[in-house]
Amino acid sequence: RHPLSPSLAGERLCSTEEATPGSGTYTRHGFIYSSLAGCLERKSEDSGLPVVSVVRDSESQLLPNVGAVVTCKVCSINSRFAKVHILYVGSTPLKSTFRGTIRKEDIRATEKDKVEVYKSFRPSDIVLAKVISLGDAQSNYLLSTAENELGVVVARSEAGVQMVPISWCEMQCPRTHTKEFRKVARVQPQFLQT
Amino acid sequence: AGGGAYWVDSQQKRYVPVKGDHVIGIVTAKAGDMFKLDVGGSEPASLSYLAFEGATKRNRPNVQVGDLIYGQFLVANKDMEPEMVCIDSSGKSSGMGIIGQDGFLFKVSLGLIRKLLAPKCEIIQELSQLYPFELVLGMNGRIWVKAKTVQQTLIIVNILEASEYMTAEQRKQALAKLSGN
Repeated sequence: RHPLSPSLAGERLCSTEEATPGSGTYTRHGFIYSSLAGCLERKSEDSGLPVVSVVRDSESQLLPNVGAVVTCKVCSINSRFAKVHILYVGSTPLKSTFRGTIRKEDIRATEKDKVEVYKSFRPSDIVLAKVISLGDAQSNYLLSTAENELGVVVARSEAGVQMVPISWCEMQCPRTHTKEFRKVARVQPQFLQT
Repeated sequence: AGGGAYWVDSQQKRYVPVKGDHVIGIVTAKAGDMFKLDVGGSEPASLSYLAFEGATKRNRPNVQVGDLIYGQFLVANKDMEPEMVCIDSSGKSSGMGIIGQDGFLFKVSLGLIRKLLAPKCEIIQELSQLYPFELVLGMNGRIWVKAKTVQQTLIIVNILEASEYMTAEQRKQALAKLSGN
């Protein structure tokens, strides 16, 4: 690996005959250009040409893509949607949380008009969701839980105790035995830790 | 063993919205097709213009900022903003809606409201023998009174406010003095 040096966005780095483009770069007319303002990295590959890439921080920020499954925490609910903070993308934690929105019609796949947000999520629930859009001007990712494997995984009852799921739409508090409505995720058995 | 409900009766002045409660709200804002009402809770309640008897998209109710509305809570919990309606489950208004002009709105404790709403309440019966008047009781501690003259209205307001602390004897004496006048 060669020492790092700063590079500007749009700066022409080298020709495609000398190196292969990596992340943070693009090719035009046989040359490699930088697409980020950051540090230039040149990694020597054993087979073939070295790989040239541009990185901003020492670790690259993982951005949620469309179709990625993310873990998020509900911060507020409304009769039309739920606002969440995205904490993990897949199994990697994010350094800074992104904001997401789950619309009422994206909570379930069936009977979308009978959905009540209050009976699906509550503030401070941990929810598995899928990214359906990178969002609009407010930079809120648009998320969906309209699958069996998506929905609430961890929730606390009104008594403050972690609840146990009993069906796809109900969870029960182990101390008070009261049932609360949630849109529960059917977690794959290999991901459960007992 | 029969069923039945148990509850603890307590005294407080701060109102917390509860689903099904009938309250008096003050319109603070009109936002498109929703009104924002102050009901004395932590958040303003929302009221759709379609939630009145006989309201359609063409036939909108005539609600202005500052109007008084008597309605009930459709949605009221600690995680969302409360939602009010002025119709019951069958679509009839049953006494709910915009409260008319004039009259006097004042605030009392929640315990007094529950006492006044009890069937065959003595205070209301004795007052109705004094002057005829219109009365709306909101579970959020708000009372609206309207009598024939301003003076009669204010007398009724004072009696209702004082009946928080007056004994039945003191109240009968006060009313006897007033009807003697």
